Amino acid sequence: MNGGTLEDSLAARAGRLFAEYRDGDQAKMGDLVRALTPILWHTARASRLDSATAEDVLQTVWLTLVRKSDTITEPLAVLQWLVISTKREAWRVARSQTRFLPEDLDSTTSDADNGESIEDTVLRDESDNSLWRHIERLPERCRTLLRVIAFADRPDYAELAKALGMPQGSIGPTRGRCLAKLRMALAQDPTWEHR
Amino acid sequence: MNEPNHDRQLEAEERLATEELDSSDFALLNSLRTHYDQSDPVPDGLVERIQFNITLDALNTEVATLTQLDMATAGARSATTEAVRTITFTTDSLTTMVTVTPLGDGTVRVDGWAAPGAGIQVEVLLHEGPPRKTYADDDGRFVFEAVPSGLAKFALYLRRDTDFSTVLSPAIEL
Repeated sequence: MNGGTLEDSLAARAGRLFAEYRDGDQAKMGDLVRALTPILWHTARASRLDSATAEDVLQTVWLTLVRKSDTITEPLAVLQWLVISTKREAWRVARSQTRFLPEDLDSTTSDADNGESIEDTVLRDESDNSLWRHIERLPERCRTLLRVIAFADRPDYAELAKALGMPQGSIGPTRGRCLAKLRMALAQDPTWEHR
Repeated sequence: MNEPNHDRQLEAEERLATEELDSSDFALLNSLRTHYDQSDPVPDGLVERIQFNITLDALNTEVATLTQLDMATAGARSATTEAVRTITFTTDSLTTMVTVTPLGDGTVRVDGWAAPGAGIQVEVLLHEGPPRKTYADDDGRFVFEAVPSGLAKFALYLRRDTDFSTVLSPAIEL
């Protein structure tokens, strides 16, 4: 971007699409869904919902946005609104799913349902495996934060951390604790090849 | 024992945490994104399913799901076209049951019942030609005579106070 203009970001693009939709351009909602579904998918999945439930959560959140679109006071903050709504809806659904017992949630095989075959796992290169191992060892809130912001742009980090309920300074403009922990772990791992 | 070591670790972490994000961090986040994209991709068609539901919602339309199909006679359809079939489809707001009776001349009679369906407008959308339209009686019953055989959908128009909404059935072989 040219100097003087605001750095473009996922939140800014989303805000523009949503504002245009509210001004009557119906097709922009389809563009908004396409742009934001990945980050919302990972927000829901980071709450340990299975695929089918995560999909239901996203459907609910998007329908709520469309139905309430006139009452959203800050159209430019639509990304934060959607992330907060997804997180809340995911929690609400997870709590009501009595078939998920606390011991299931604590199980280390929580990612068994990630669509990955054994072959895929084996084929992934070693340095990706070591990255995965270190992510798994982070506190859950750090894992969620990093997973979600990985699907956004730099200027979005601080607002997204806030939307996920993390304290100020969790990430952006400084590195924050979560990324620092991961950097430390990787620096001490001889199998991690920095790319 | 390794307390001092632990302290040093915390100090180093603290120092790292307060530094500005640098290119290594962005590279790391990129790796994370690739990793999650591969290990837990957005399901195929999810974006389209969300867009479709938003469009239906904008039209106040619910798509009914088939909840009951008389399988014995449905399966034997091609052999015994004379079979009478009963099909039930439901949404949150409406349950509809239709009985299809072949008349032997390439057309069928449809006897339907919708609950709660008193007085609602019902259309049968045909594979070819204009839709047929009728109204349910006070008990929610409706009849279509001599409907051409083939794939068709039912559209039921509900009125709640001043709101209108539509229930659309899946495609059904008549």
